[in-house]
Amino acid sequence: MREVTRGRVLDGIGTLARLGLAAVWLVSGLIKALDPAQTYVAVRAYDVLPREAVSVVAGVLPWFELALGLLLLVGIGTRAVAALSAALLLVFIAGVTQAWARGLSIDCGCFGGGGAVEPGQTQYVQEILRDVGFLLLAAWLIVRPRTLLAAERRLVTAGSGSGSGSGGY
Amino acid sequence: MGGADRNERKRKQAAAQARLKAAGITPKRSGPSGNTLVLAIVAVVVIVAIVVGVVVTLTNRSSEAAGPAPNYPVARAGAVITAGQAAAPVTVDIYEDYLCPYCERLETAYKDQLTTALNAGQIKVNYHAISILDRASSPAGYSTRAANAAICAADAGIFPAYHAQLYAEQPAEGSAGFSNDELTSFGTTLGAGGGFGQCVAAQANTGLIETATNTAAANPALQTNGSFGTPTVAIGGQKIDVNDSDWLQNAIAG
Repeated sequence: MREVTRGRVLDGIGTLARLGLAAVWLVSGLIKALDPAQTYVAVRAYDVLPREAVSVVAGVLPWFELALGLLLLVGIGTRAVAALSAALLLVFIAGVTQAWARGLSIDCGCFGGGGAVEPGQTQYVQEILRDVGFLLLAAWLIVRPRTLLAAERRLVTAGSGSGSGSGGY
Repeated sequence: MGGADRNERKRKQAAAQARLKAAGITPKRSGPSGNTLVLAIVAVVVIVAIVVGVVVTLTNRSSEAAGPAPNYPVARAGAVITAGQAAAPVTVDIYEDYLCPYCERLETAYKDQLTTALNAGQIKVNYHAISILDRASSPAGYSTRAANAAICAADAGIFPAYHAQLYAEQPAEGSAGFSNDELTSFGTTLGAGGGFGQCVAAQANTGLIETATNTAAANPALQTNGSFGTPTVAIGGQKIDVNDSDWLQNAIAG
């Protein structure tokens, strides 16, 4: 009985992590998709990629984030999508860290904005800590992807057809 | 290997399975399962998103290589460079800083539309080179040096191509920007005569550019919420919103 209760609490925490991470991607992806020029300037400001690659990354990134957000919201492939999310967050953290280390003064452009800022107006510590927080949500879902209200539960039951009741996805 | 050992191992495996199951992780099974279906859906959604992004990017870039060739007169009065027929019915004023990344976006997005309309005599464009980002290069002052070089390019008869090149190769904010020698060699390559290098090096237009910058920044018709920035586009002297991607067509349509 106590095991069951503990499982439900963990399911609840996982659900919050899944929906929280979904909200992060949906909001940041939408803001970026609605302002392509801003997104281009933000990506360019990291000063890592050649201009051609900047336009491709700036074009694809918003839609990739929206895809991750949508899959997490619906709850399909939570573990795989959490792994993709973690990989993307690590790329973001690396980008901000290299900008910081090279002495650039830019805004991360994480949720809109972006581009050069006055020296002294940078917020690298806050930006990295925020990404680490999101990374923890992803890490939880990689370790324990079981959540409530996830569409994949039905898909797996239908897809496996064996009725073995594995409960896993 | 006694039976007790085997039982112990089985028990441990079962416990491990139970832990994974509680965590919501499916142990690998042979054959297609719900897991495969789920991963296939994830792959499809992610691939669709990437394709959408690439298509949007390619559409926005339109015809980078094969744009229309500029075929319009260019005149200069002080720091203002006017492209197009003097009698054109619509006057577009573009306030830009050669270091400003959003100005580069504006140029890249509308260069072809502007050239077509200029060639057709539908509009004339007053280019105002503004130097509000002088402090954003290191050493400071690239905005003014580039603006000066663009004025020299107008006098040398190569302004449209020179203007395009300053944006096509726009240096990053925080960088040194192009040296006067580099600014000169761009112009020489585009066919500027011998006086061009001297004009770029002498920076004789610095005062004009500073005055134009201060005048533009103080003009309420060019401000949003009391502040002036680049790029600013005005039609008939009034600032318009270039986030509306039809701004130029609307202006031509009147």
